[in-house]
Amino acid sequence: MNRETLRYGGVAVGDRLPELKIDITTGLIVGGAIASRDFTPVHHETKAAQDVGLPDIFMNIITSNGLMGRFVTDWAGPGATLKSIDLRLGAPNVPGVVMTVTGEVVAKDDAAGTVDVSVTGENNVWGTHMAGVVRLELPKEA
Amino acid sequence: MERNISDRAAIVGIGSTEFSKDSGRSELSLAAEAVKAALDDAGLEPSDVDGMVTFTIDQNEEVDVARAVGCNDLTFYSRVPYGGGAATGCVLQAAMAVATGIADTVVVYRALNGRSGHRYSKGVSGDLITGSAIHYGWYMPFGLLTPASWVATFTQRYMHITGCTVDAFFEVAHSARMYAVNNPAAFFYQRPFDRAEYDAGKKICSPLKIYDCCQESDGGSAVIVTTPERARDLKQPGVLIRGVAQCSAKDQEEMTSFYRPEIGCLPEMDIAAKKAYAQCGLSAADIDAAVIYDAFSPIVLWQLESWGFCKPGEAKDFVADGALRIDGRLPTNTHGGQLSEAYIHGVNGIVEAVRQVRGTSVNQPRKTINHALVTSGVGVPTGGAILGRMG
Amino acid sequence: MTPEEVSEFEAKIRAYVGRENGPRQRGKDDVNLAMIRHWAEVIGDENPAYTDPDYAARSRRKGIVAPATMLQIWSMEGYPMCQSPKVDVQRELHNVFESYGYTGTLGTNTRTEFYRELRPGDQVSYHTIIDNIVGPKKTGRGMGYFIETVTTFTDQNDEPVGRQVFRVLKFVPPPQDAAQAGGGQQAAAVEAATRIASPRGHDNAWWWEAVDRGRVLIQRCKSCGTLRHPPRPMCGECQSIEWDSIESTLDGEVFSFTEISYPRFPGYPYPLVVGVIQLAEGTRLVAGITGCDPSAVHIGMKVKGKVEQVDEKTWLPQFYPV
Repeated sequence: MNRETLRYGGVAVGDRLPELKIDITTGLIVGGAIASRDFTPVHHETKAAQDVGLPDIFMNIITSNGLMGRFVTDWAGPGATLKSIDLRLGAPNVPGVVMTVTGEVVAKDDAAGTVDVSVTGENNVWGTHMAGVVRLELPKEA
Repeated sequence: MERNISDRAAIVGIGSTEFSKDSGRSELSLAAEAVKAALDDAGLEPSDVDGMVTFTIDQNEEVDVARAVGCNDLTFYSRVPYGGGAATGCVLQAAMAVATGIADTVVVYRALNGRSGHRYSKGVSGDLITGSAIHYGWYMPFGLLTPASWVATFTQRYMHITGCTVDAFFEVAHSARMYAVNNPAAFFYQRPFDRAEYDAGKKICSPLKIYDCCQESDGGSAVIVTTPERARDLKQPGVLIRGVAQCSAKDQEEMTSFYRPEIGCLPEMDIAAKKAYAQCGLSAADIDAAVIYDAFSPIVLWQLESWGFCKPGEAKDFVADGALRIDGRLPTNTHGGQLSEAYIHGVNGIVEAVRQVRGTSVNQPRKTINHALVTSGVGVPTGGAILGRMG
Repeated sequence: MTPEEVSEFEAKIRAYVGRENGPRQRGKDDVNLAMIRHWAEVIGDENPAYTDPDYAARSRRKGIVAPATMLQIWSMEGYPMCQSPKVDVQRELHNVFESYGYTGTLGTNTRTEFYRELRPGDQVSYHTIIDNIVGPKKTGRGMGYFIETVTTFTDQNDEPVGRQVFRVLKFVPPPQDAAQAGGGQQAAAVEAATRIASPRGHDNAWWWEAVDRGRVLIQRCKSCGTLRHPPRPMCGECQSIEWDSIESTLDGEVFSFTEISYPRFPGYPYPLVVGVIQLAEGTRLVAGITGCDPSAVHIGMKVKGKVEQVDEKTWLPQFYPV
């Protein structure tokens, strides 16, 4: 995590964020579900997941949102403020896959002081798990 | 006399369909319309046709086109392989047939639903065990699946060895677009772009962005080749085939010749250019205008070097001076090119080169065009033709 | 369905548009440090704004804030979800779809806006309406409808603090998929896309089979010793058809490359960098370049390769910066 918050002026369209690789484990999936108080059985019980056609439990959307948010604030620093997350879901994250999260600054709004970061999370087995745009506000001055 | 086909055949008719993104009709219907338009342009009847040439990848059988148009007996038919590399190769086949008396009146055609039907941008896939599938198998698993990805790999190398930048790509793409803006037949008629839009264009395969890539189009184009003697009696001024050549250079692969000592260059086009110039005794200095195959903007630069308009590695400087523009040294792709008119695999380019020599381009340069160059797709075995005014 | 059934079904589902999924409700827990810490721990979020009171007190915020992405968490029902989920209006609507064969469920999009940061002690209330039903649409999963719900979140002063749009696809699963249809918000394709494999014929199968076993070979002419890649049946130097092979050390450098952005094919990870690698042995090999930011790849970069499993079915050589 970057402890120095980026400044609005120091960020340019085209900047890429440091790549983040996340091992998707049973612990992360169940932990994310329970910490988000999502007790839907498909997120903690293998049989329930298999009943809907998947080989194993899979990550809930709140956790995906959380990881996307963390990926961007890890880069931007603690003084950044998330304004919105527009998330499109794809292939499921099941235990054993590795998700690689990448991002790039795609737009800036000088008036609002906000920056749009396009983020993609690809898992190594099934392809794109999540793709979206995170908007965050960065301080203008030091 | 030296064995040579220079000036032994002429293009006497040109025709095209409308170019679109969704023709709503069969490729055969496009082929038939383009052929009929070319015959009408020449003042010939379908029954005059006795030869046909097209691309191996064209889906319209010669016999089907002949029946659709109402041609008579055909005594010559031939196809040229390697995608867009076939364009002027078809003219070579037609010229050889006419020069040798195998046929008198040969139609070259290409028609495709390239946007609404099979799209080349959708990449290759591995359904069949053919030689071609084995070949693409060295690239498919890694994700190198599309023409853009192959050309981008050459382009990266070309930039590395020549210092060329995207400024030159922009000039190629932009000059073509400015021609298309004036051409009602072009898809991008009246739709200019500027440098900011170019720079903001969608990334395709680095360094190529969307404005560096040709369109995918539905449409057809055709030209009629016959003897110079007969050409004199026809409706339009004949356009002589002064020189025409093909080449597949050593260690060629189809789009993926990555194993040569250097890959930021086009040895097959260098050789074809030398042969075509030798046939007619002309040189780059004699060429007044050109249609240079532009599936992607950087490939125009390499061909300018192959045909001797500048030294190797110096195309960036050549185009920077506006050479490709209407008042430049070599007005090029005056129809808008495949980047901005339509992607008919270079046959719409042959049509335009004929117009340049006739003086009927919608963007006709103010100077007299004695000789026009037209080239075929690169990355594959390729070639080019030098067209000239009849004396 | 007959035309009559279709109009009956359409009338039933459209009647839900605009309905509230129950009245505005206060979340079970107010924003609190313990849940924030539990969440940050799992997500691996070390942002001191969430968990370091000293740092937070010194920051412009003057105190801890909750991660924005916890917004929905303050509205969750919790453990009862795995016993007998309550039948609310939204569940009823899903039941209507399911009784007409739209048994597949797929969460496709969320859009969440955060109006202000929440702090410990804030009391979050939520209110969901079924905002829109779009369809029928032909989708990759089958014929379906998108249900869009909008949840607004407010605080103890009735001030809005955020808003979330949630899109769920209800679809008729194709027959072979029927067993996989129900439940999960995110049940996506089970038959995952993999990379397009090379066909294997007489001249190349041996090379790919070696890759499957973790080795990259280079064909060598038995007569004159010339190495060649890609493999071909005859030596271009001496025309011998006798050959064997050596194993590459996969030491090399980037001769050329491209970063592929578009179009994207299922089964491939993007951004995808593919290079022509000049191997130490003298031949070249096209392969992926990974392990660094795509913008760092350059011609002349020294790389080292290894054969790796890249998806369920595919092993490939991949090159990493040295």
